[in-house]
Parts: sequence; C-alpha cells; structure tokens
Amino acid sequence: MELVINNLNKTYSNGVHAIRDVSLTIPQGMFGLLGPNGAGKSSLMRTIATLQEADTGTITLGEINVLKQKDDVRRILGYLPQEFGVYPKVSAQAMLDHVARLKGVGNSSERKALVSALLERVNLYPVRKKNLGTFSGGMKQRFGIAQALIGNPKLIIVDEPTAGLDPLERNRFHNLLSEIGENTIVILSTHIVEDVTNLCKDMAIICEGSVITQGHPAELVKAAEGKIWEKSIDKTNLESYQQNYQVISTRLIEGQTNIHIYSEIDPDNGFAPVKPDLEDVYFTQIFHNTSPVSA
Amino acid sequence: MLKDIFLFELKYRIKRPATWAYFGILFIFGWLIAANGGNDGGSEKAFANSAYEVTSFIMIISIFSTVIASAVMGVPVYRDIEHGVKNYYFTYPLNERSYLLGRYLGSFVILMLISTGIVFGMIVGYAMGPGMGWEEAERFGPLRLGDYWHATTHFLWPNLLFTGTIFFCLVALTRKILVAYVGSVLFFIGYLVAITLAADLENKEMAALIDPFGYTAWDELTRYWTPTEQNELRQPLTGNYLINRILWPALSILLLIFTVIKFKFSNFIAGSARGRKKKEEETIDTHNIYGDRTPIPAVQQHFGTSFALGNLFSQAWIEFKSVVRDPYFIGIILGGVLFLFLDGWFGNTTYGTPSLPMTYYMIEAKNGNYIIFVMIILVFYTGEVVHRDRTVGFNQIADALPVPNWSIYLGKFFTMALIAFLLASMIWIVGVFSQTIQGYFNYEFGKYFTDLYILTFPMYLTLTILAFFVHVLVNKKFLGHVIAIAIYVLMFSIPNFADVDFNMFIYANRPGYLISDMNGFGHFIPAVTWFNVYWLALGGMMIVVGSQLWSRGTDTAWRTRIQQFNDRWSIRPALVLLGFLAIFLWTGFTIYHNVTVKNDYVSIDKSRRQQANYEKDLSKHGRVYQPKIYDVKYEVDLYPEERSTRAKAIYQITNKSPQPIDSLHLNFSFSPKRGTLTVFEIGGIEPAIIYNDSIYQYQIRSLNPPLMPGDSTSMIMEIDYGYEGFPNEGFQRDLLYNGTFLSSDLFPSFGYNYQAELTSDLQRKKHGLEIKEYIAPPHTDSLGLRNLLFGDDADFVSFEAIISTAPDQIAIAPGQLQKVWEENGRKYYHYKNNGLIQNFFNISSARYAVEEKDWKGSRGENVKIQIFHHADHAYNLDRYFASVEASLDYFTNNFSPFQFEQMRILEFPRYASFAQSFPNTVPYSESFGWVADFSDPDDTDYSFYVTSHEVAHQWWGHQIAPSATRGANQISETMAQYSAMMVLKERYGEAVMPKFLKYELDSYLRGRANESKFEKTLLDNDTQSYVWYRKGSNIMYTLQDYLTEDTLNLAFQRFLDDYALKNQPPYATSYDWYGYIQEVTPDSLQYFLEESFERITMYENRAIEVTSKQNSKGQYEVTMQVEVKKVTYDGDGLVIDEPQEASLIEIGVFGPDGTNEYGMTAKTPLYLKKMWLTPGVHELKCTVDEAPQRAGIDPYNKLIDRISDDNITSVDAL
Repeated sequence: MELVINNLNKTYSNGVHAIRDVSLTIPQGMFGLLGPNGAGKSSLMRTIATLQEADTGTITLGEINVLKQKDDVRRILGYLPQEFGVYPKVSAQAMLDHVARLKGVGNSSERKALVSALLERVNLYPVRKKNLGTFSGGMKQRFGIAQALIGNPKLIIVDEPTAGLDPLERNRFHNLLSEIGENTIVILSTHIVEDVTNLCKDMAIICEGSVITQGHPAELVKAAEGKIWEKSIDKTNLESYQQNYQVISTRLIEGQTNIHIYSEIDPDNGFAPVKPDLEDVYFTQIFHNTSPVSA
Repeated sequence: MLKDIFLFELKYRIKRPATWAYFGILFIFGWLIAANGGNDGGSEKAFANSAYEVTSFIMIISIFSTVIASAVMGVPVYRDIEHGVKNYYFTYPLNERSYLLGRYLGSFVILMLISTGIVFGMIVGYAMGPGMGWEEAERFGPLRLGDYWHATTHFLWPNLLFTGTIFFCLVALTRKILVAYVGSVLFFIGYLVAITLAADLENKEMAALIDPFGYTAWDELTRYWTPTEQNELRQPLTGNYLINRILWPALSILLLIFTVIKFKFSNFIAGSARGRKKKEEETIDTHNIYGDRTPIPAVQQHFGTSFALGNLFSQAWIEFKSVVRDPYFIGIILGGVLFLFLDGWFGNTTYGTPSLPMTYYMIEAKNGNYIIFVMIILVFYTGEVVHRDRTVGFNQIADALPVPNWSIYLGKFFTMALIAFLLASMIWIVGVFSQTIQGYFNYEFGKYFTDLYILTFPMYLTLTILAFFVHVLVNKKFLGHVIAIAIYVLMFSIPNFADVDFNMFIYANRPGYLISDMNGFGHFIPAVTWFNVYWLALGGMMIVVGSQLWSRGTDTAWRTRIQQFNDRWSIRPALVLLGFLAIFLWTGFTIYHNVTVKNDYVSIDKSRRQQANYEKDLSKHGRVYQPKIYDVKYEVDLYPEERSTRAKAIYQITNKSPQPIDSLHLNFSFSPKRGTLTVFEIGGIEPAIIYNDSIYQYQIRSLNPPLMPGDSTSMIMEIDYGYEGFPNEGFQRDLLYNGTFLSSDLFPSFGYNYQAELTSDLQRKKHGLEIKEYIAPPHTDSLGLRNLLFGDDADFVSFEAIISTAPDQIAIAPGQLQKVWEENGRKYYHYKNNGLIQNFFNISSARYAVEEKDWKGSRGENVKIQIFHHADHAYNLDRYFASVEASLDYFTNNFSPFQFEQMRILEFPRYASFAQSFPNTVPYSESFGWVADFSDPDDTDYSFYVTSHEVAHQWWGHQIAPSATRGANQISETMAQYSAMMVLKERYGEAVMPKFLKYELDSYLRGRANESKFEKTLLDNDTQSYVWYRKGSNIMYTLQDYLTEDTLNLAFQRFLDDYALKNQPPYATSYDWYGYIQEVTPDSLQYFLEESFERITMYENRAIEVTSKQNSKGQYEVTMQVEVKKVTYDGDGLVIDEPQEASLIEIGVFGPDGTNEYGMTAKTPLYLKKMWLTPGVHELKCTVDEAPQRAGIDPYNKLIDRISDDNITSVDAL
C-alpha cells in the first residue's frame, strides 16, 4: 500500500497558500517530512489526517480516496497532532480505553490488553490511573503517542512527536516507531534533521508549501558530496562572505564562527571540503528556496 | 506603563470583531424595540420614548448585558492564560498593578462603548418609529437626549461597572473563565430574589437595597407616576435609591482593590497553590534504551452501524455525566431549583395570602424564573458540549478517529436532550419536595408526568434544538452564546411588542393551557401536542441541516464548511429531511386547519379593524328602540363530554317604548362556526332577515306587524352551540368536560352593543373614529336612564329554567330547585325564581359535591346557603359559610331584607380567576380562595372578603339595579366593596384593615399610572375598575370613619327604600347615590365628599420627626413634626391646585405592635385623634402613658396618599 499525493493545493481563507502543488509518493516504512517552521508540514499532515480539506489535487491510500472517504482513512489511521490537549479529569487508562472504543475495538478484554501494552510501551503504566491533567509535557506527549498506536493503524502520522521528550524517551520512541514502521506507512514530520537521519529511508523537504526535494537520505547526501565547504571565519566578516558565497549555515564551534557554503567548484580562499550530512542537504535546499538560515 | 497597557488593550479590542458584534446586537435590538414603540401594556398617553420608558428599557438591557459584561470583562486576563502568553508576558518589567488596572480600564472603556449600542439603537429606532408605521406615530415623543444620558449614567454604566468588575476580578483571582458564566447566573439570582421579595409589599425597603441593578429601588419611587409624569420626569437620586446606586458599584470597586492587592503574577502563572496538584514525578530506568518490549497485541475492530450507535449512546452518557458533575452546572441548576421552590412557595398569593401547594402550582412554577435558568443552561451547556474537544484541545485527535459524523453529532445532541429531560424532571422533584415540607401529601404524579414529560419536555427539546443549531452553525462558543440568547429574547419578546400572536409563526410557541383540579388537562392535550410535534419536526429539519454543517477538523472557514456540506449531502440526510418536512407540513396543515378553518383566528390588527367597521356601519342603530324581555324560560341540554349544547329560550317581550318597533336587532356572541340559530320565532312566525353580517355577528329582522307600544308577544330561539378542533389561543372555557359556566350571552342580545367598540384613543384615531371619552351616556341621558347597566334587553324579569346534563353532573341556574329527574340517561334540573330578577344569569354544570347550611335572619327569614364545590376542595368551606352568614346578618340588619330563599356559591375551573354575583348565585373560580392557605392569621381572609363582596351585590346590583349611565357602576362595585369591608371589619376588627387598605391604595395608584385615557371621578367613572374598586374602598372606609358607620348606613337604607327592586325608569344613577350620602354628611365634611367624589385629590402627608421625653410623672411627652399637603389633579394627572383649607386628619402614637384575638398583628394606639390641619408643617404635642415606638400622621392610610410609607416614623427618645 502506498500513499500517493498528487498536485495538492490549499489556500486558507486568510490568503496563506499553505500547500502548493504538492505531489509525493510515500511507500511503507518511515517517511520523513522535513521543513522549517511554517513550511506547511502540519497543513499537509492534517490534510492527510482528514482534518482539513484541499482545494485541488488528490490523495489516495491504496484504494482509498483520502479526501472523500474520510471514515475509511480514519479506521486505519493513527495520528499524533503537533499540539493537543487532554481531558484533565480523566485517567490515562480510561482515556486510552475510550479512544480504543472509538477506534472500533469493541471487545473489552482485548481493549484492556491493548491499553496495558501501550501504556507499558510508552512507559506510562505506573501512572496509568493518574488524571491526565497532572501529566508533565513529556508524559502527555507519550500519551499522545500511545493513542496514535491504537487499532492496528496502517497509516501513522506523527507531527513533531519528539518535541518535549528527553533524549532517552526520544530514543525509546524512535525504537518504537521503527519497529512499527516495518509494515506500516509512518509519516514523521519534524524540523530536526537528526530524527530523519536516524529513522527514515525516504524523505521529502518541504518549504513554503512546496516539496523542494525528495528521495532516500543517503542518496541525497551522496548527491551533495564535494559541494559543501567549510571555513572558520571572524564573525565581523560574515556579511561579506554571505555576499560572495552561498552560505547555507553558520554555526559556532568553540566560540569560532564556522560557515558551510555550497559550491559546485572549489571556492579556494581557505575553504576546506567537508563530508556533507543530511543537515547540509537540508540547509542547501532551504537556502535555494528562501533566504539564509542560521543554525 | 499603565497607560501603555491601557492603550494596547483598547487598540486590541477595537479591532476584535466580537466588540463590534456585541455593539451591533445591542444596536439592532434597541432599534427593533424602539421602532416598534417598545412594550405595549402601559398607558397610551405615555410616549413610547417617555423619560420613564427610556430609563426602564436601558435599565433592563443593563441587566441582560450581564452576559456581554462577562464576555468582555472575563477575557482580558484569561486571554493570557488561554494563549499561553502568561509564561513570558509576566516576566517583562511590568508591575502587577499596572498590568491589571490597564487591562481592566481598557476593557471597561470598551464595555462602555459597546453598551452605547443600545442607546444609539434606541435613538435611531425612536426617530424612525413614526415612519415605520409599526406603532402609531403620535406615540413617539420628542427626542430628549438628557433622558438617555440619565439612564446611561444612572443604570447602564453603573450596572456594567458592577457586573463587569466582578467578572474581571473573579477571573483574575480564580483563573477560570467559567466563573464568568456562573457569575452572570448568580446576578440573575440576586436580581430575581429581589423581585420575588418585592412582590410582597412589606419587604419593599429590603428589596430596594438588595437588587444590585437598582430596578426595585427605582420602581419603588416611580411606579405611581402618571403618564404625564412618565413623559417628563427623571427620578433624582434619593433615599434607598441613592444608597443602592452607590452601594453596589462601590462594592465592586472594593473587590477590584482587593484583587489588585491580591494579584501576583507568580500565583497567576502557577495557579492557586491550593487545589492544584503537583505534576507527576517519575523514575525512569536509564539503562533500558529500548523501553519495555511488551508486544502490542493485535485487536479486532468493528465499524458497523451498531458500533456507531453504541458510540452515540456511550458518548451521550459520558458527556451527560461530565455536564452534571460540573460544579458550575450544579450551581446554576441549584439556582434554578431555588427559584422553582420560591416561585412555588410565594408565587401564588392573592391579597398577600398564599395558596396550598396544589400540584398545578408546583408545575406552573416552571413558568416563573426557572425558564430563564433552563434557557441559560441549554445555551451554555450546549456550547460546552458542542465545543468540548476543542476547549481542551483534544479535537485534532478526536476528529481523526473513525467515528462517523452522525454518531458524534447525535451523541452531543442526545446529551443535551438528556439535560432537557433532567430539567423537566427537576420540576416534579422540587414540587413533591415542596409539597412534603408544607405538609401536603396529595402528590398527583399523573399530573406531574403528563405535564412535564408529554407537554413540557418537547418544548424544552425544541429550545434545545435551537441552541444546538445556533452553536453548530456559529461554531464559536461565546458568539454562539450571545446569538442564541438574543434569539431566545427575541422569541419571547416579539409577541409582546409586535402584536404578533399567531403561534405557528413564532418558534416554540403553542397555545396556552392550564391544569385544573376540576377539569384536569381538559381539552388541551391534543392542541399542545400538535404544536409540539410541529416544532419538533422543524427541529428535526434543523438537526439534519446542522449535521451536514457540523464542523470537523481544523479548517472551520465557511468556504470549507460549505464544501464539506456538498461532500456530505446525500440521499440519506435528504430522505430524513424530507421525512421531517412531511411531518412539519402535515402538522402545520392540521394546526392551520384547526385554528383558522374550524375556529376563527383573527389577527390583532384585523380584529381592531373589524371593531372599527362594526361601529362605523352599525352605530347608527345605537338608539333604536328595542323590546324588553319580561319573562325568561330556558330549556338547555348540556353535553359536557362533547363540549356542546342545544339551548332553547322562550321569552315574553313587550314594547315599553313610545314608538312601534318594526325591526329586531340581534347581536350574537359567537361566530357561525361555533353555533347556529336553528329556530327563531316571534309570535309563532319566523321574522324575515333584512340584514345579516357574519363578521359583526349582527342580524336585523323585520317585525311584521310591528310591535306596538304596550304590546307583548313571545319569542322562541333554539341554538346549537359547541366546540370543534382547537384555536390559536384561548381556553374556550364556557363548555367543559367538567365545570361548564355558560352565561346568558349564549342567546343574542338586542340592539347595537356599545361595549364592542374600540376604546383606545390611539386605535380609534388610527381607524378614523372620533375619540370617545365615555362609553356610557351621562347620568341625565333619557335613554340611559331607561336602561339597566347589566343588560338593556330587559328590566326585571321572571325566570325559569330546565337544564339537562351528564348523569354524573349537577346543573345549576338561579332560582329555587323545583324538581330533579333522570330521563334517557341524562339528569334534568328544574329551577324557578320567586319574584323578579335582572336578566343576568349563568348556567353551570360539573361533578359537584354539595354542602348546605340554613341561615335564619333576625326577622325570621330562612335562607338556604349551598356550596357546590370540587370534592377535593373542601378546605375553606367554613370561611365561605361564615362570610355568607355574616354578610346576610350585616346587610339585613343595616340595609334591607334579602330578596331570595337561597344563596349559592359554586366553583368553576381556574381558566378565569374571578367571582361574579348572579341572582342568588355566585360562581367562584377554583383559583380564588378554594385552595387558599389561611393558616397565618395575618394573611387577609380574602375568601371571606370576596364572598362578602359578592353577597353584597345581591343588594348593590341586584336590589338596586344601576342605570346604563356613567358613574352608575359605582353603585354596584364601590358599594359592594364598602359593604364587604364593613363585614370584614366586624368579623376581624379594625386590625385587619390597614393591610387591606394599603393593598387597595397601591392598586389604585398603579391603576391610574397605567391609564390610557384620563382618570375619571367616582361620579362619572364608567370603565375604570381601579376607581370603582380601589379608590372606592379607600374613600368609603374613610367616609364611614368620619361620619360613623351607622350614619352612613342610614343613607344607604334610604337609598334602598327608594330604589330597591325598582322596575321602572328612571333607574339609579351615581348622583342619586351621592345625594343620599350628601344628605347625612355635615357641612364641615362636605369638602371631603367634593374632593373624593367629584375630583381627584391626593394627600402627601408625612411624619418628619417625632421625639419623646419622659416627664416627672413617668408619662411620655411626644412632639411630632408632620407635614400636610393636598393636591388636586385633573384626569391627565396635571396639578390643578393645592387647596389651602384645613382637612380632618388623624394623628397617632403607637406602642409596640400587639396581636388581637384572632392572632393578627395589630397596631397598639396610645394616642389617636383626628385634627383639622392646614397644608404645611405642624408641630404637634401629646402625652401618652406608655413608651411610644412609632408615630405620625394618617397612620392607618385612610387617605389617598401618594407615598404611604412615610406617614409614620420611629420615635426618638430624648
């Protein structure tokens, strides 16, 4: 089963063109959707998650027309929105049980086993009886992950899932996701390049509503080989470098200003070639589509 | 800094659409009501935009604006919590005080600005009013900007300051926005408590202070204003009113100061220390980077219809539970319950005397303040339920779950339906509770459940659907609340101000009904049910449309929703919609057919037009001589189970006029749809119809040969009469399953009927008729003197009747019962009156229980007193008996002999609440004394009083029959009031009178404040009941106090000697009556007769200061400063002059109140003296033996005094 998006467009009533002619084919496995804040990732995710209409274009999931057969999509969907609230006076266990019921798990003992397993997996079992209102940000996030996994989802959409998680929890979550991602479509929206590097075998970069590149992370990195150069400079000269080179990122290393530039030929002038990583690919793409970014 | 925050708030708010939405709603509302000429009901002489009306309208809006105040003032601080701004905003270098005050002031300025929407709306509305033509142009007075300024500064802004400040502070202190909603409800409670308390006259002072909106205090000072005063006066701030206007805003400012002191950013961010649990701590196994490897089990999923249905119900139940567990919901519903209870407890008083807690009173408590709570709960909690997921932010997850729209949508609707069911159920729960604690154990669950679940619940459901539909459509919580409430208000006010009364066209409206113990639910259930189904069908359509517009997902723009609507729309919703449409049309057609085809629906406008045309076309017949009936025989077959009758009248008629009568004019009281005249014969032949109009219900028949002066003949009529279907409105109470009460109107009356003319000056002008100051002709009019006031078709007549009815009912008509028999399974009653009576009868029939007593008079008279009552209503029979006996005693001893052998009192269902005196028969409404609770001796025994009043009519009305001239009805009503007061005083002593007189005075002053023409005097009043009852009572009581009872009774004996049972013209006029009174009045008191009977005179007496000092002998020397003022007015309420001569006025000094032998509170006079006092301030001295407590001038309120409460004051001991 594949998720196929064709020429999708959406303009909000306030005039923001959030999705511009997006076409993507997303196979089974983990798919990373990378893009800066406000790039339209969430709009795209919500559209796939049946929460939003598109103006034009199609989305199909196997045989299902996602934009029309919403209920059919919802039956196989697991969705973790970027921001969500909880019913403060309900326990995690009761809420998951309720969601399971709404996801069609009618058998109560099955539901019970499922909820227990999920609580174990997201490490909330010890606090399962506590009201959600008392949860910390990380715990709430893990609750969100658990609810998205209910009901054998074939399509899992997770929007910025690791925000607010500590490194350990993030690791655990990655493991969980990759385990599930083996026979499921998992769309992971993030602006953290590392997440994609670690997890995804396919990815797309989205910027200002458009898909600016897509492919396998390794291939994308390979394509950039020999085109990324670095140099440590005095920060007062940054502006002149930005005028003369395609500076894709600037970062501080031990107090020194280190810049990466994109150049298909050797720029000389003290620049050293650097083995590109996905981040360089990302910044290059963003650079070509917007103004410079600092990281 | 404060200034910056203030300006930021202002700018932010000015740009918000909500600000303008509220302004716009107020503007449109003000405009609509103003252009419609405001609420009808008051005097026509007062302008629609009189100073009084502008003030009271703005004030009422200021109360309802509580909702807007909560919306505007609740959010400024909450906004920072809601949007999560608080976490950094408060780290800026601002101080708490500037932040809070800046936000407060900015919001309040915006609130003031919004509130002016109503003012501008009114100004524009009143300006356009004359041109719109919705209300007569002359009802609109000139624009007086000062009135608006006055109302805005005295009520609108102070009240908003009060409510707004409280909401602001509550949210700032509690950080909970819901507090703002509940706050608005609490204010309604406070307001309603004050209004409820104010209903009981003695609590006025307290009520004036505790009403936070100042209405009660203001009303206290302005309610007696005459139309002229209403047009011009603006009440200055004095007394309780001043205190009230300072007290509540000041309290709110105190709260603000407290809040400013208490408010700390740190608390605000963290939440209150108390009640806020710490976040969960957890321990994590840092070594296990894979976490728990528990496999996630595979599960079976089912998504059929049963899954969706199951979800629907489980969701409805979960949401229902969460609503009823909500502390604010509990708070609001407890408020509602409190009012159900209070309205059930206090709501049914007559003359301040409560009723027993009958089940129907318990049920009717729902129509009081409770309905406001019902609407608040329905609107607010529909908003909560509709927006629940969005409020907590769970919507993105929930909306992506595989639950079909209809299952979620209907689940939410079912939640609210359950709430509506709960609200209906509270009524019987509270009712049974209230009955139990009052020691009344006759629980009638059949009545409760029939009313609440069959008749009321569907209406609550109809209201629920509207709120639900609005919330679904608007999809913004606060705006949804405001719009839903605005629609409710319009729904309930349109019928009042727009003269629209066609129930089918006003959402959730249906014909009124009443539950009666005698007649149960009567014939009302089908009518109400048809309407209920009709509205529910419309509601069903709204639910279907709403389901297609149900917003799911994150994109809530209208463009998207319409797109979704198009996607969702399919054959299934279309079929359901069509189904509801079919029911709607079918019930609509049925209702329309019943209301307009089987019954006569005439719009208010059209009926006025018909009245006007009736007068234009037919008044030329007004002075045509008609025959007089002198013998009446009825044969009436009643079919209560069918609500029909076949009635035959056999009259003997004669020509008492000087001219031959060649045509007979017949006025029917019913339309051709209700009844038909099947037989009409005069002297054995049917006279030809020469004119017939079914709208005027007027026929002219030619008499051929004419009836010559002095000639007599017979007249026979048969009428088939009965009811079919149901009307738009009206009880159709004359024929009932149990409790029929037919009057002689069933048969046509003779000649043009002046009573059917339009009376309102405005309406007459509008329809091109001249203003008529009086309906009756002057006391010198020759035709008026020839006719009797109670009916000009006859002088006195002999009367006989044979009435048949259902076998389990008793039929009653005036006269002695001759015979009772059964025939063809029906019961027959034959009545015949000995002697002559007026042509004024009633026929009653019901399943009666009968109670009898014999009264023997001092001259050996024997009268059988009978009470025909509903079997369960035997509570106060002894009071009726006692009253009839005491009345017969008093009247035969002081006036003249009684003319009948029997005196009957009979109960009729409570569809009307009056008692009426027919010859030897007094029908008495079920709600008027039969179930009154007289256990408190201080409560006026109005069963006793009213019975006595009706018995007195056997003299005043039935012995002396007033002529058909203006003023003559005083002979009937004022004299009946006087006579009953004397009986009441004799029975209970003088202690009972002050409370009674104060009620009468209050009613009189209110009556004249609402006068639409001009106030008439006791001598020429032909229509004003507040003059002949209320003013009459006060004047007559004082008169007997001045003259002595015996002297005055002597005058009335003489009057009776000359006029009792007089069967030939000229009949008695008010001047005849007045003459006998003048005869017994000494010259010194003639001034009182003139000012009371011939003019309109008011005293404004008051006690300024009273001090007392104990002297060496242990006595108390009392010094009183009192002011005397007397003003005479013309009928419009304009001052004519202030007479300067001395008047006889009572002065009194009182000890602490005692109790008399009946347990009543009674004043204890230490000193009581009538003195001749001129207008101005007097210092009076007297000495009393005991410590004085209160003292003053006219302490018993015998004189007509515009402010009766300031006559006595407490005594300061020196």
